[in-house]
Amino acid sequence: MTELHVSANPDPAIELIEVSKHYGKAEAVKAVDLAIAPGEFIALLGPSGCGKSTLLKLIAGLEELTDGEIYVGGKLANYLKPSARNVAMVFQNYALYPHMTVRENVGFPLKMGGVPGEQVKARVEAAANLLQLSAQLERFPDELSGGQRQRVALGRAIVREPLAFLMDEPLSNLDALLRVEMRTELLRLHKRVGRTTIYVTHDQIEAMTMADRIVLMNKGEIQQIGSPSEIYEAPANTFVAKFVGSPPMNLVEGRVEHGSGGLTFHGAMRLVAGKGFAGLSTGQATLGVRPEHIEIVAASHPDAIAARVDLVERVGSDSNVLMIVAGQAPMIASVDAAAALREGDDIHIRIPPEHVHFFDAAGRRVAGKGALQ
Amino acid sequence: MSVMAEQSAVAGRQSVKRLAVDHARIRLRKRRLHELARHLALGLITFLLVAPFYYVLLASLKDSNAIFQYPPDLVPWPPYWGNYANVLSHTNFLRWMFNTLFVATTVTVLKVFLDSMAGYALAKIDFTGRKAVFLLMLTLLMVPGGALVVPLWSLVHSFGLINTYFALILPPLANPLGAILMRQFILGLPRDLENAARLDGLNEFQIYWRIVLPLIKPALVVLAVILFTDQFMSFIWPLIATTSDDLIVLTVGVASLRAHGGVDYGLWSASAVMSLVPIAILFFILQRQFLARSLAGALKQ
Repeated sequence: MTELHVSANPDPAIELIEVSKHYGKAEAVKAVDLAIAPGEFIALLGPSGCGKSTLLKLIAGLEELTDGEIYVGGKLANYLKPSARNVAMVFQNYALYPHMTVRENVGFPLKMGGVPGEQVKARVEAAANLLQLSAQLERFPDELSGGQRQRVALGRAIVREPLAFLMDEPLSNLDALLRVEMRTELLRLHKRVGRTTIYVTHDQIEAMTMADRIVLMNKGEIQQIGSPSEIYEAPANTFVAKFVGSPPMNLVEGRVEHGSGGLTFHGAMRLVAGKGFAGLSTGQATLGVRPEHIEIVAASHPDAIAARVDLVERVGSDSNVLMIVAGQAPMIASVDAAAALREGDDIHIRIPPEHVHFFDAAGRRVAGKGALQ
Repeated sequence: MSVMAEQSAVAGRQSVKRLAVDHARIRLRKRRLHELARHLALGLITFLLVAPFYYVLLASLKDSNAIFQYPPDLVPWPPYWGNYANVLSHTNFLRWMFNTLFVATTVTVLKVFLDSMAGYALAKIDFTGRKAVFLLMLTLLMVPGGALVVPLWSLVHSFGLINTYFALILPPLANPLGAILMRQFILGLPRDLENAARLDGLNEFQIYWRIVLPLIKPALVVLAVILFTDQFMSFIWPLIATTSDDLIVLTVGVASLRAHGGVDYGLWSASAVMSLVPIAILFFILQRQFLARSLAGALKQ
């Protein structure tokens, strides 16, 4: 394969401006703005039906957009045929041609593009080499394992040397073990080939481990764009807070009011917000805290909040403790499995203010650790 | 453990063993009975299917006296070949055969092509009025062929096509059944296959020709066999659409043997047997195609 390099060019490889897609009255994608830098690995993350696959198909040209503009490689692509957009797609079901061998499958896009036979052969073999498929070149797709089919699908994309790879949940049909293996392999491949990649997934672990930036979508709208740690540490709204992280962030409804120690949250529990919550104002609010930040403390601790253990789920070295806090708010804490808690135990917890997030009445993040000031 | 107890234990074990052997024997006997019953049933059905053919074959190998002998001679030996000689020398059989093969082949080739294209369009292309067209085709399926004969004749007549090959070839092309069948098959192909092809730079016709056609090959073969046999056996329309001797097809020709001064059953049987030959050959050739590479592998496991 030819030498590939990430360009330092600040111009985006792919840019979406106010992109919308409606099916009749249903809005699958609503006014999405997104600029993707060359060489970047972007994960489109969201629950099923959030419009992430539709967005990918719009970029590929497999669906016509209702409104907006799509630029691929700096060129307006709205009216370009899929094959003219210089992007390659890897489908969830692999979409290999069953009547062609691996060699024919991988070489097909080149052959259709009028590349001379000798060159097709060389490029197919180079791609097969890269993906460890050389021994399977003469086989048919139905003679391959799931992982091998997945590699053939990747090979078919790589061989075109496109401007960008579009991947539509490429690992979701593999079993758990193979998925983890292919995830690493994909990442290694991305580092090696260095092409812009848009990766659609509903699996937050895939998104968190692979992506440079995550685009989190819900109901056709982008909820947040950011690096995996930004998304995790500073979720833009309650949806993001709930969606990313396992077990999800605990959210408690309440009000923020002026108290003796400064702004104070009144909900299932009372919490003095103290300093460092610049954006916080009085009114309806939702408090968020991640399960791993909840501490179990002695009853004598000044910040202790009473809780009753409802259920304990052991997950290897940790336990997820489902509990009812202050007699009303269900919360989950991740604690060391060594803390031998049982159903029905009365315990005391502490919510460290430095790990608390606040969301306003509309669910938007207003303050918290790593706030976006 | 005492010797007695040990002995009784051994005896007990042996009786258990004997019981098991008995049970195995009973099971085996039961299975054999089942198998016998199944084979008897299959044999009966085979007999019912084969007997008429055999009877016609027999009649074709007997002279006119032997045909009406009672009880019938089930293995005529030596066979009488005169009927076959007569069919070839005294009738226009070879011309009828040519007409039938020509018409049936032309109709089959054209129709498999047209039906698969129409099926592709109905299944995969989102054009205005697609639903209406499809419903219309379904409705047409419900119109009995007999009801169409007269209007069809006047239509073909008004085009001045009566007594031409066009009269035999064009009307069957309009039958919507094939396109509906093809639509159903093509609907079953995963959408991502076309999408992949589209990204690989194929246009609509290339997707149909290079991706869809190879994948529905078994369905094409089934359709081809249905169409070919249908044409091969069609009688009413060829009878009224052609009057010229040169355009008579097998079915009409064989039936006409009856009209020429009484029925020569030997001659009739021989022509019937001979007219089966092409269909039999077709089935033998295409049998293997039914086993064509299936879709497995394109989809998730």
